[in-house]
Amino acid sequence: MASALASNGLPAQLIDPVNQQSEKNGPPNVVLILADDLGFSDIASYGSEINTPSLSALAELGVSFTNYHTAANCAPARAMLLTGVDAHLAGVPNIPEMLAPEQQQTAHYQGVLGQNVVTVATLLEDAGYHTYMAGKWHLGTDAGLLPSERGFERTVALADSGADNWEQRPYIPIYQTAHWFADGEVYQLPDDFYSSRFLVDKTIEFIDSNAEDGRPFFAYLPFQAVHIPVQAPQKFIDPYMDVYAEGWTAIRQQRYQRAVALGVVPSGIDLVDMKTTGDWSALNGERQRYEAKRMAVYAGMVEAMDHHIGRLVRHLKAQGLFENTLFIFTSDNGAEASGPSDPDNFATQRQLSSLGYNSDYETLGLKGSYNSISPSFASAAVSPLADYKFYVGEGGMRVPMIVAGASLPRQGVLSDAFSFVTDITPTILSLTGVNAPGKRYAGRPIELMIGKNLAPLLRGGVDRVYSEDDTVGYELAGNAALFQGDYKIVFNRRPLGDARWRLFNIKRDPGETRDLSNESPGRLQTMLSAYQRYTVDNKVLPIPPGYGHLKQLVLNAVQGRLREPLLVTLITLLILAPFYVYFRLRSR
Amino acid sequence: MNAALRLLVLLLGVLFLVMGLRWLLAPQGIAPDFGLALQSGVGLSSQIGDMAAFFLLLGICIFTALVTQRRFWYYPPMILLTLTALSRVLAWLMHDAALPMNLITPEIVVALVLWVASRHLSDRD
Repeated sequence: MASALASNGLPAQLIDPVNQQSEKNGPPNVVLILADDLGFSDIASYGSEINTPSLSALAELGVSFTNYHTAANCAPARAMLLTGVDAHLAGVPNIPEMLAPEQQQTAHYQGVLGQNVVTVATLLEDAGYHTYMAGKWHLGTDAGLLPSERGFERTVALADSGADNWEQRPYIPIYQTAHWFADGEVYQLPDDFYSSRFLVDKTIEFIDSNAEDGRPFFAYLPFQAVHIPVQAPQKFIDPYMDVYAEGWTAIRQQRYQRAVALGVVPSGIDLVDMKTTGDWSALNGERQRYEAKRMAVYAGMVEAMDHHIGRLVRHLKAQGLFENTLFIFTSDNGAEASGPSDPDNFATQRQLSSLGYNSDYETLGLKGSYNSISPSFASAAVSPLADYKFYVGEGGMRVPMIVAGASLPRQGVLSDAFSFVTDITPTILSLTGVNAPGKRYAGRPIELMIGKNLAPLLRGGVDRVYSEDDTVGYELAGNAALFQGDYKIVFNRRPLGDARWRLFNIKRDPGETRDLSNESPGRLQTMLSAYQRYTVDNKVLPIPPGYGHLKQLVLNAVQGRLREPLLVTLITLLILAPFYVYFRLRSR
Repeated sequence: MNAALRLLVLLLGVLFLVMGLRWLLAPQGIAPDFGLALQSGVGLSSQIGDMAAFFLLLGICIFTALVTQRRFWYYPPMILLTLTALSRVLAWLMHDAALPMNLITPEIVVALVLWVASRHLSDRD
């Protein structure tokens, strides 16, 4: 494998200003860092008050994309990120935990990465790269579906949608345990586990294990941060204890102003008042203090992730690998807003105690504590955008994305060119000089990549890679969007949405405050037609009547955990009922 | 109290009769309410025959119970509705069917109403 790179020489893509370093050092290493549920303005270089110096340093070494979009939830984003193929065709139209039984009758609605797609790891491994992964996978738990079977040479992977950050335990009752695997085998986490530190430690261990052979590496580092449960070491929480005392609306406004000052969004845009955002001033002092602590833990978790990214960067510098390493940092989707608005309510407390967690103020975010942010602070995490995870407003889909490297010709610049998660794999292939496959790979048919190579934006000289006519469609559980040029049509189901198609110019109005559907009915119709073509081309199934993603999550959890006892109980009742009736009649 | 209960049971009887007649006369209008697409041939015959009989039986038993005031006429619709709800849960657990709470909840509630009616509205066993 290694000889494939040497014997072929350097591909044409590499002998250009994007990567002149490669001529001297060979193909670049690639570190793909994926945060989990990180909102658009959750890092400092995008307007956050959260201290993220390592990511700011990376942003200074490359291009920060301010109009980058991903899926509105986890597994579909990961499927598209790693394959360049639409999530529906890749077998992951939604997370398996939220798929309805009617949908699961169809082969490509299983919520696991299909064998009809090939991952960027496989392509790089076959081209001679070492390929490593440490973090959340969530694209299949069974044999044959784990990352060790999908192109990753060394892995330590969480197969579930999330898990505790301090120990090996599930975070929702749908799982009996947290399913961790190392190189395809069941794995027991160490006692001193904290997710971000551990995942970077493993990445460093993997890189060091093959450092001597001179082959380049691809390291995929999908953090658990900042997925629920939101947890962080105390030293990272402490600096934020007083930061959020003014509440979510003030933070949302401050982040917007900083984002304008940084050039991340245009000035003078309007911000939506989301109907799920509460009234901070209506909370009593104790509740305000508690809500501020919830967000302080969130900030601490982001900073802890940044701290460990910094540790990885320093290690690569110490090993002399930094100069020839490209970094891509992004998030799988927008900020998560599923935390309860009232953390003291009975149902929340019952659920936490059933999982063995507490949510006490003093220990919030530490081991044994379960923390989350409510929709109100999530509105600050996505500032200045609208909506959040699971919904197709910009807050659910637009996230930070940084491509950095010492060898990149453009340093410390912003790009407002539209880009999509399916572009990452083609871009990595271009930067590493590995050919993208066509419709067949390794003797079998595969889905064609739809993403575009973003390398021209890294070089400069172009201001977009998508033409005015190109369309990018997206669907998640009935919520739908289509991008074309500077425009986007949006359909959000109730209760957060209004189940109506709306049209926005997301370049001028990223806050999605001015619906243009009445002003430009022709454009709306054209884009609706394009969306219909998208659903046909990508085999999008209609959602079943009465479907709700949270309701389905609960039903699937009950079925997954209680199927056998429920079956035994109901069948026993069915068998005993005639005897009961018989004896009642006899007794009269 | 009993008058209100009697009126409620009467309305349920009318509702079931109407649903049975809809299955007989215009099945295309009611089939989607049950998540069904109409078949053809024997399949269509079974859909219309079974569903119409199910609802007509419910309605007829309820009217007979109200007229005769005999408790045992409440039992067939109670058993039918309970078994339907139970079978839906089993279908969900055993065959990965959907769990349509919008159908199961009324089935259980109506069965309970009929049980209450059987205790209060029947003078003769």
